[in-house]
Amino acid sequence: MKTYDYTIEPDVIEKNPTLSEINDVVAAPMEAPPSNGWKVALGISFTMLIIGALSLGYSLYYGLGAWGNNQPVGWAFPIVNFVFWVGIGHAGTLISAILFLFRQKWRTGIARFAEAMTIFAVMTAGIFPLIHTGRPWLAGYLFPLPNQHGLWVNFNSPLLWDVFAVSTYFTVSLVFWYVGLIPDFAMLRDRTKKKINKFFYSLFSLGWRHSNRHWNHYEMLYLVLAGFATPLVLSVHTIVSFDFAVSILPGWHATIFPPYFVAGAVFSGFAMVQNVLIVLRKLFKMEHIITIDTLEKMNKVLLATGMMVGYAYGMEFFIAWYSGNPLESFVFINRAFGNYAWAYWIMVTCNVVFPQLFWVRKLRRNLVVMFIVGVFVNIGMWFERFVITVTSLSRDFLPSSWDYYKPTLFDFGILIGSFGLFFTLVILFIKFAPVVSISEVKGVLKSSQPHHH
Amino acid sequence: MSLETFWKSPNELKFPVLSQEAKEKEFVDGVTEEFNPDELKGLSRRKFLALTAATLAVSTAACTDYHDKGEIIPYNKKPENIIPGIPNYYASTCTGCSNHCGILIKTREGRPIKIDGNPDDPINKGKICAIGQASILNLYDPERYKKPMKRNGNKFNEIKWQEAFNELISKVKLANNNGSEIAIIVGNIKSPSQKRLLELFTQKYATTKIYSYDLMADYPRQLAWQACYGSSEPATINFENAKIILALESNFLGNEGNFVKNIAGFTKKRNVDNPDSFSRLYAVEGAMSLSGVNADIRIPLNPTKHLDLVLSIIAEVLKSRGITNGLVYEKVQNYSLAEFAKQNNLDIKQLKSLVKDLVQNQGSAIAIAGDKMPFELHIAVNILNGLIGANSNNSENNLLTENNSNQIPLSTKDYLLELKQKMQSGKIAVLINFDTNPAYDLSTLDFDNLMQKIPYSVTLTETETETALSSNYILPINHNYESWGDYQVSNDIITTQQPVIESLYGTYQKEDILLGLINDKLSKTAYRDFIKDTWVSQIYPQSNSGVEFEVFWKSVLHDGVYKLNTSKTPLRPIDYNAINLIKSSVSKSNYILSLKNSYSTANGRFQNNGWLLELPHPTSKITWDNYAVVSERTAQKLGVDSNKMIEINANGKKLEIPVFVQPGTVDDYFTIELGFGRRAAGTVGKEVGFDALQLTTIDQLFNGYLMSVEISSMPNKEYKLASTVEHHSLNDNFTKDLAKKRHIIQDGTLSEYVQGNYNPERSHLTDSIIPEIEYKGVKWAMAIDMNKCVGCNACVVACNVENNIPIIGKDQVARGREMHWIRIDTYYTGDQDNPEVANQPMLCQHCDKAPCENVCPVVATTHSPDGINQMVYNRCVGTRYCSNNCPYKVRRFNFYDYRDNFNNHFQKADSLALMMNPEVTVRSRGVMEKCTFCIQRVSEARASAIAQGREVRGTDVKTACQEACPASAITFGSSNEPESELYYWRNHKLGYHVLEELNVKPNVTYIAKLRNKAEVK
Repeated sequence: MKTYDYTIEPDVIEKNPTLSEINDVVAAPMEAPPSNGWKVALGISFTMLIIGALSLGYSLYYGLGAWGNNQPVGWAFPIVNFVFWVGIGHAGTLISAILFLFRQKWRTGIARFAEAMTIFAVMTAGIFPLIHTGRPWLAGYLFPLPNQHGLWVNFNSPLLWDVFAVSTYFTVSLVFWYVGLIPDFAMLRDRTKKKINKFFYSLFSLGWRHSNRHWNHYEMLYLVLAGFATPLVLSVHTIVSFDFAVSILPGWHATIFPPYFVAGAVFSGFAMVQNVLIVLRKLFKMEHIITIDTLEKMNKVLLATGMMVGYAYGMEFFIAWYSGNPLESFVFINRAFGNYAWAYWIMVTCNVVFPQLFWVRKLRRNLVVMFIVGVFVNIGMWFERFVITVTSLSRDFLPSSWDYYKPTLFDFGILIGSFGLFFTLVILFIKFAPVVSISEVKGVLKSSQPHHH
Repeated sequence: MSLETFWKSPNELKFPVLSQEAKEKEFVDGVTEEFNPDELKGLSRRKFLALTAATLAVSTAACTDYHDKGEIIPYNKKPENIIPGIPNYYASTCTGCSNHCGILIKTREGRPIKIDGNPDDPINKGKICAIGQASILNLYDPERYKKPMKRNGNKFNEIKWQEAFNELISKVKLANNNGSEIAIIVGNIKSPSQKRLLELFTQKYATTKIYSYDLMADYPRQLAWQACYGSSEPATINFENAKIILALESNFLGNEGNFVKNIAGFTKKRNVDNPDSFSRLYAVEGAMSLSGVNADIRIPLNPTKHLDLVLSIIAEVLKSRGITNGLVYEKVQNYSLAEFAKQNNLDIKQLKSLVKDLVQNQGSAIAIAGDKMPFELHIAVNILNGLIGANSNNSENNLLTENNSNQIPLSTKDYLLELKQKMQSGKIAVLINFDTNPAYDLSTLDFDNLMQKIPYSVTLTETETETALSSNYILPINHNYESWGDYQVSNDIITTQQPVIESLYGTYQKEDILLGLINDKLSKTAYRDFIKDTWVSQIYPQSNSGVEFEVFWKSVLHDGVYKLNTSKTPLRPIDYNAINLIKSSVSKSNYILSLKNSYSTANGRFQNNGWLLELPHPTSKITWDNYAVVSERTAQKLGVDSNKMIEINANGKKLEIPVFVQPGTVDDYFTIELGFGRRAAGTVGKEVGFDALQLTTIDQLFNGYLMSVEISSMPNKEYKLASTVEHHSLNDNFTKDLAKKRHIIQDGTLSEYVQGNYNPERSHLTDSIIPEIEYKGVKWAMAIDMNKCVGCNACVVACNVENNIPIIGKDQVARGREMHWIRIDTYYTGDQDNPEVANQPMLCQHCDKAPCENVCPVVATTHSPDGINQMVYNRCVGTRYCSNNCPYKVRRFNFYDYRDNFNNHFQKADSLALMMNPEVTVRSRGVMEKCTFCIQRVSEARASAIAQGREVRGTDVKTACQEACPASAITFGSSNEPESELYYWRNHKLGYHVLEELNVKPNVTYIAKLRNKAEVK
């Protein structure tokens, strides 16, 4: 059996590139004319976006009846999608903020991209609470705006907490991401020869001159923002989970939800980041910056969070039995063996079984395997939200009100559209902004460290 | 001083000439000439003002919501007796079926908006059925015929009334002169005036023949009654005097006979506070009916065996009395109950206890067989009733009351066949369909095609029917609420009918048209005067009222019912010889089919009424369809399941129909409800369901719809039935009996309760970290007695009408989006072959700690100081979180603007706007709604209490469902009034709340159901 020496920390950036080589690699996509592959990718994702927009347009014009929602199942695809996308965002904040505070140097190669994904995922997610309401044109009622009618919002409602949690999260993530981009924009400004690019990069780099004072302020601000963002990683999905946990519905009303949701969010977020990065590093020839070692670390996180999620699944069943509450036990038996059992077992297989492959070093370093597992994890995590939302509602307290939920084409259209929106934003992002944090990567180069020649 | 010397200013006095000039020229020279805004430089004051004015005018015009809101015309001359905002009530009569219940019509600003029973009517006692409640939709049906129509090839053209009438009268006269027949097809005539009218008509036109039929009538029972008692009309059964009831495939609580009266009578004997007189209902039936649902002991038995069962029971009764001779004995001597039980796998102990009950309760036990059961079974039942003394005349509390209210006897089979013959041979010159639809009802006579042979056929109808489309002329007639009438509903009661609105489309009432033919002149008031004449000549003289006729007549109209001065006629004695009419001919066949009345659309007449089609079926909760009911085993044997098609072959005719697996059905037995599958009934009702009449013969109309059939299954053909609930087999242990396990339904037996051994499960959770809100003054609450609720659906329709609840259509029901604010949950427990059933009306529980309220992000659902959970439509953004968090799932969401969505904007028709209750907001798309405890009635009561200078009391308000409930199962009031009825029930020993353990503190108390099980030794 082969043994590894785990005491030696592997290089975060391989091949020890020079500083200008890094500049060249990262800036290349922005400087070259759009490739055909990029155009095709944008075309596909934009088409998906249009499908979503048309489905949504129809639903808004004629009413939510276009969807499959029914009497017991008041929430279905839109809420599932909302929780799914908010969850996707979590990886970004975890990587950029928490791993930053823990001085995990391997995060530098992937942090920027993960943060961008957070922004886009939260933007995508943010659409759903709005459109899932019966009268989206009255969304203003959800904000505490003083008015002459003396109407106010209900601070007891988790949905209102959502409004604040998600908007705070979005704002902080955006600021954090933008602050990190400033030195890189300055670098690009200095490199570019096109006038229009120069104008915009100058604008966005806010007069950054790489001066010592700038760096000093920058580092401080970055640290403070990381401090801000860290609790948000935990709070946002905790509050999203409150939408369910605060209700009285068996299958929703559970104290395990906050940690369970946060773990699930990190789980799905990492899977999404890992998936996109695998494509990206190949496409932009960044294999030495986003290394196999980094991906392996992400896979370890996947394995860990996957098992947390698996533990939560088990614990839900245990508590359902241990509580002695027949309503609760019914809901869980129904999940596993009732009319939505197919969804439940998709969830368990994807989220608990497949990540177990990562116990094997060879598999968790294998790009194909990790990509497939990542895809499965995202499918599984989408189904987890589906199982929680729909199965609990479809068979609740009174057997007389039970009904089976079946999504319609419009539900799928909007789901496809959400992926379209997300990937359109991602594809535009990789064309117009650096996908890797140049300054941070430079900071963790071997050559940047105190060393002997 | 002279006039000339008056001066108006000092200048005038001083310079009279100058001031004269000044008067003529108001402005001094130079002042006006100089002013020219165009020449002014820059923005002068005047230009500024001009521009400001223009801007204001333009912006005001632009910002005004200039949509035409329609005209609002005030009462320039206030009509008498109408105060805007205050409803008026008028007594009238429902003509939906031949029961002719007295009704009270609520009108607002001159338009009827709600119908309830007339409390003065001694028969239906202020209650009417679901169909009666919903019939207001027929009044405003946008598809009513508005003008007379004349056939032109395959199309109909509108013609003028006078033209139509002239043609009609000339044809009638011509036929009369030629001596060819004028046939008038009428329904069940119960009106003395209608009878006189038809008599007059026959006098004037001697060739007239009247044909009368009623698809809903109990022909076999009538024939059997004739054989046993010598009168064609069966006696009325007074269930309030029945302690033991044996129902044989009889749906006396659901849709047979005067079921409103039956429900009231039956439930009177289901009072948990009077356990001594608690009745016991034995239901012997092949398929689940409302009798089976409400039975204490339900015995599943194929209806072909019912005759043998009754004869065996008779044998046992005779045996118990030691009678060993006589006519009856000879007939039944070969029957043995023990043998019968053994052959049919029945519990002999149960049957013995049934016989014991029948024998021991002489005079208060009765058997009843279904309307559509064979003649012979009815004979046997009459004999049994005679033996157990059900027909005794001795006491005040007679079970049976003699009834001779029919004015014109229904035509016999031979008479109808004669009609067919005459139509075929072209002997009928003029055919008048007097608001009847024989082309559908008598399709077994091939009426549709026969009508083509009539040279002149005219149909008097409100809406499209098969008959109308086959006739030459269609004359639109008034709806019930636009008409005059009088109806004899029992030997001593006549109800009157008066219009409450001018006919919406200028139509005539059907009697006016016949009267026009008699008087040679069409008039809208003719029948009114005609009725008065009838009363002047026939009824007024006997009344001895001592007042002028006008006064007498006004008071009769005011009351809506009139009690005749007739002495009670005792029941005739029974003729036991009738038993010889029973021929023991048991047909052996694999499959038996039985056809039943429909619960919701009568004989199909109400098919264009979406409210009724959308009403969940009392036992299956299926809407918008009929289907063949089968047992689970039979379905498996045929390789089909619910929503799969079968082909039924009976009398050489075929019908494809979907199957529904119903718990409690006996094997190899199928039932289908009639009244569906109309070929022409308007947009809503056309081709809804399947027409089982196609399978019948004319014989079966008179001898019951019980027939041998052949079945071929079509397992690959699917037809989706839209149900409001999920159906689970009782053989599925996972979902079985959940309602009982969760204490949603709580029931015990009467004997346990009497012995003090039964109390419903309660969970008294009192601790809370949130301080309790104290309700002072009135606090609204409801109590529902599950012993009384039979599941008739009257409350559901009453709520629909009261609260402007939309019709959403079959596709939306199939998607699970039904909008009813109150629903009747029917739970089956126990054995799939013979389940126990309980009904539970479920509506918003108005929880003190309503879980819906704290999750709404915009405070659109709140709690009122008098304990009502309120819904603020304007504020609702439609997150549906409240509905998710409602454990009772009674909240309803407008997934569409349903008025716009349903059938091509059907409900946006102008006429339907008139039907809306003006006190209740019509909800828009994207808004949550639910039961409000009839907040509009609460507000009205509060307003009148304030006007009277007192506090509002719990007893001031009756909710729409409570008002409609024929069983009086619903009590509403204030839980803070210890002397009130509501308080009594709320704190009753048998009271409990559904899902009490959630501690949401619901305000609807359910009274646990007691089953009066026989003690079987």
